[in-house]
Amino acid sequence: MKVEIVDWQAVASWHWDLKDDSITDELCGICRVAFDGTCPNCKYPGNECPLILGAGCQHNFHLHCILQWLEQDTSKGLCPMCRQVFEFRKDFNTVTKDINSLLMLIDGHKSMRDREVDEEFDSFDDDLRMND
Amino acid sequence: MHPFHKRLLKEFKSLNKNPLPSIKILSNNENLTNFDFEIEITNGLYDDKLYKLVVVITKEYPVSPPKAKFVVGTREAGESGSTGTSENPIDVSSDTMQSSYKIPIHPHIYSNGHICLNLLGDDWTPACTIESILISLQSMINNNTDMTRPPDDNRYIKYAGEFASKDGFVYHDDSV
Repeated sequence: MKVEIVDWQAVASWHWDLKDDSITDELCGICRVAFDGTCPNCKYPGNECPLILGAGCQHNFHLHCILQWLEQDTSKGLCPMCRQVFEFRKDFNTVTKDINSLLMLIDGHKSMRDREVDEEFDSFDDDLRMND
Repeated sequence: MHPFHKRLLKEFKSLNKNPLPSIKILSNNENLTNFDFEIEITNGLYDDKLYKLVVVITKEYPVSPPKAKFVVGTREAGESGSTGTSENPIDVSSDTMQSSYKIPIHPHIYSNGHICLNLLGDDWTPACTIESILISLQSMINNNTDMTRPPDDNRYIKYAGEFASKDGFVYHDDSV
């Protein structure tokens, strides 16, 4: 019997390659879409918008989602889920423009916090002097 | 369509599937960016039990909080407002007399319906939801013991816009 293939369609599925598969079953805490789905800004999944894994806390987000949050001054650089200072695992992602923006935002929030602490100390010093 | 439509859809479905006790959705638009809620208050200090809350999802949601305020208006006839659960039966006789929504009296709620609540401003995070706002407001009023308006009510409502602005508030007293 001779078979002639008239037409064919390739179908592929994809999945983030993480050591711990339980992470990819979770939803992004910001857009509430599965990590294997795309963030609302992206049409296609991929390295343009990788997962950002929390380093201080265990909360994970789509890159573009956590970027949008940390762009807000009111975020104060904190994790949206647990309000700890947000840090992410840098060993995990290749550095892209957006990852760089993320690093800069985190640094910016850190220096804001440091400045606030300094100011608090200054006013504390002033109070001490007034009491003397 | 809102960029975070999928999240809004999930929140909306969950509000319908697991309704909050004593809170119901009166109406919403197709894009799920405008909601009217009816909140029932069980605090005995309040003569009126039902209040209408407008929630508007901004373009920046969920990175920025929704806007929310209480509004006045007539209540649809025939709505018994029997959203009360069996644990909190409401007094039907007084309820059927009521036919309009008023602004709840509270030291953090201005007479134009604007609400001074940290969750609607600086303490919002994208982990919060429409539901967290509803629960917060309901508990804020249910636990209130001080039946007064904010101290600067007269001045505030003269200059306030359509919604409370994020930086427009002086937080008077965190103890209430």
